[in-house]
Amino acid sequence: IKLISDAGFQGEITSISTAAQQIEVFSRVLKSAIVGFLQSSDDWQNSVNECAKMVCHGAHTYVYSQVIVHILSQEQRGGSIMKRLSQEITKCAQQSGHDVTPITLALTAGESWRGARTALAAMLSRGALNPADISVLFRAYNQPEPPPVHLLRIPQFLELLVDSLYKLGSKLNPEHKSKYTYLLAYSASVCEGVTPGKPIKDELKPTLQAIEKIHAVCCSSVSSSELIAELPSLYHCIRFPVVGMGVLVWVECVVTEPSYFKLCTEHCPVHLALLDEVASCHPLLHHRLLKLLIKLFESKQEDLEILVQLELRKMLLDRMVNLLSRGCVVPVLLYIKNCTNRGDVDLSLIRYFLTEVLDAIAPPFTPEFVQLVLPMVENEEITGTMRAEGENDPVSEFIVHCKAHY
Amino acid sequence: MANVRDSDTSLWLHNKLGISNDSWTTGSICTQLNAEVLKNIKDCFPDLQTQVKLKLLLSFFHIPRRNVEEWKNELEEIIEVAGVDSDLWVAMLAEVLKTFPSAGTLNTEIAEFDETRPIFSDMINELRKLLAKHSDLGLLPLECLYLNKNALVSVVGQQPNPVKHFTLKRKPKSVALRSELLAKAAEVQANQKKA
Repeated sequence: IKLISDAGFQGEITSISTAAQQIEVFSRVLKSAIVGFLQSSDDWQNSVNECAKMVCHGAHTYVYSQVIVHILSQEQRGGSIMKRLSQEITKCAQQSGHDVTPITLALTAGESWRGARTALAAMLSRGALNPADISVLFRAYNQPEPPPVHLLRIPQFLELLVDSLYKLGSKLNPEHKSKYTYLLAYSASVCEGVTPGKPIKDELKPTLQAIEKIHAVCCSSVSSSELIAELPSLYHCIRFPVVGMGVLVWVECVVTEPSYFKLCTEHCPVHLALLDEVASCHPLLHHRLLKLLIKLFESKQEDLEILVQLELRKMLLDRMVNLLSRGCVVPVLLYIKNCTNRGDVDLSLIRYFLTEVLDAIAPPFTPEFVQLVLPMVENEEITGTMRAEGENDPVSEFIVHCKAHY
Repeated sequence: MANVRDSDTSLWLHNKLGISNDSWTTGSICTQLNAEVLKNIKDCFPDLQTQVKLKLLLSFFHIPRRNVEEWKNELEEIIEVAGVDSDLWVAMLAEVLKTFPSAGTLNTEIAEFDETRPIFSDMINELRKLLAKHSDLGLLPLECLYLNKNALVSVVGQQPNPVKHFTLKRKPKSVALRSELLAKAAEVQANQKKA
C-alpha cells in the first residue's frame, strides 16, 4: 500500500481502513480529498461527505485531520473555507453518533473561560440545552468582561438555540426564555472590540427585540389572517439574519405538517410569502431555503387533487424563480435541470418555470447561465408549444441570442 | 511487585480497549483512572498494542477537566512516553496532545518527530499553496448565516459581490405579492382599530 501511495496513485487506494493503517498513506489520501473539496464548485457537499467519511474512520484520524484543517483555517486566504470544512466534518461525525465535543472545544480558543466552556460542553455533548447551563452562560456574558463571543458561535449551539425558540412544540420555561433570546442576540450581533474584554454591543438591543417579537408570533399559533396583520413588523424583523434563520425553521415546521396545504385557501400562503422576504434579505440563507423548497416540491401531497397539486407546485416554482432573481442562480437551475433529466416531474411544470424565467431576464448572460438554461429551452418536448411563428416569442429570441453570442 | 501491577494494568487495558478495531472511544475507562493507575499505565505503555495505545490517548478527551488538572503530571508523562513510540500514529497523537493536560487545547505547532519523514509540514505547506489558489469557493463558516452585517464583516471581512448571471428586466411575482399582502395588512389593522 505504501508503495502504491509513494508512486502517487492515491486514487487507487479505495479502502479507508487500509489507508488509515499508516499515517503517511492516510495523509496523502486526506490531502487528495481536501484538494477535491477545494476544486469542487456547486457539488461541494459531495466532496465534503467523501472527505468526512475518511476523516471519521477513527477517532485518531479525526483528531489528526481536524488539527490539520484547523491550522489551515487560520490562513488569511481561504481560511474560512477550511473552517467550514471542519464544521461540516464535525456535523458528519455527530450524525454518526460520535461525541466529538471535547475535541471541538480543545480546538477552540479561550481556555481561561472555564465556567462557560464547561456549560457549553455539557449541552453540546448531550445535543440539548438546559436552563442551568444556559443560566451559567447568561451570567458569563453579562459580566463587565465577558468571554469572547466566538465561544457562543459554535454552529451546533446556535442551531440548538434557534430550534428551542422557533421550532413548533419546543417547550421553553418562560422564566428562562429571556436568557435564550439574549444569548442568541448576543452571538448574532456583538463584535469584538479593539480592547479585549470590551465588545461592541450597539446592535444587541434591536436584535434582541426582533428575536423576541418573532418568537412571540411563532408560539402563539396565530391563524393566517391574524398573521397578515403582523406582516409589516414581521418583514421588519426578518431583516436580521438570525431572525431570517428562525423564520425558516418555524415555517418549515408549519408547512411540512401533513394537512397544511389541504387546509390552505390562498394561492400563496402567508408563511411562504415570508420565505420570499428571507430570500431577498439574506443571500447566505439561500442554500438552506432552496433545500426547504425542494422538500416541499417533492412532497407527495396525495390528499390533493391532481390539478391542485400542479397549482401548488407552480406556486413553489414561483418561490424558486424569486430565489433565482435574488441571486441563487446556479443551484436553482441545477435542480430544475436534474428534474428534467430524471423525468419524474411533469414537463408542464418545467415549461412554467422556463416561461417565468425567460420573462424576467435580459442579456448579458454568463456562459455558465447559458450552458444550464439553453439545453432546456432548446428541448422541443418542453418548449415546443411555447414557440410562435416568426421567432417573436421569448423562447426563439433566447435561442437566437445565445447562438449569436455564445 | 511493580511487575505484577504492570501486567494487571496492561491486561485490564487490553480487555477494555483492545476488543474492537474501532478507535472511537466513549471514555468508559475514565471513571476508573486515578493518579496511581496512570503511573502504572505509563510503565506498561510501550508494550501495549497499538490500538490500545491510541484508544488510551484518545480517552484523555473524556476525562473531566478538573481531573485532567489534578493528574496533569501523570498524563504528561504518558504523553511523553507515547511521543517516542515507534508507531507514527501514536507518536503524532502524543504530539498533538502535548499541551492538552496543562492548557486544555491541542498543540498545533507540530514538531517533526522524525526528520526523514516530514509528513506533517509537507502536507500543510502544499495545502496552503492550493488554498491560496482555490480560495474562491465562497463557502463561509456556518455561524455566518446568523450574523448581522457588522458582526459578519468583523469575522470574515467584506465578501465579494456575487456573479451577475443576467439582467433582471421584470420583477418576480413575489414583489407584487408582497405589496398585495402589505395592503391587506393595512386593511386588517384599520379594521382592528375601528373595532
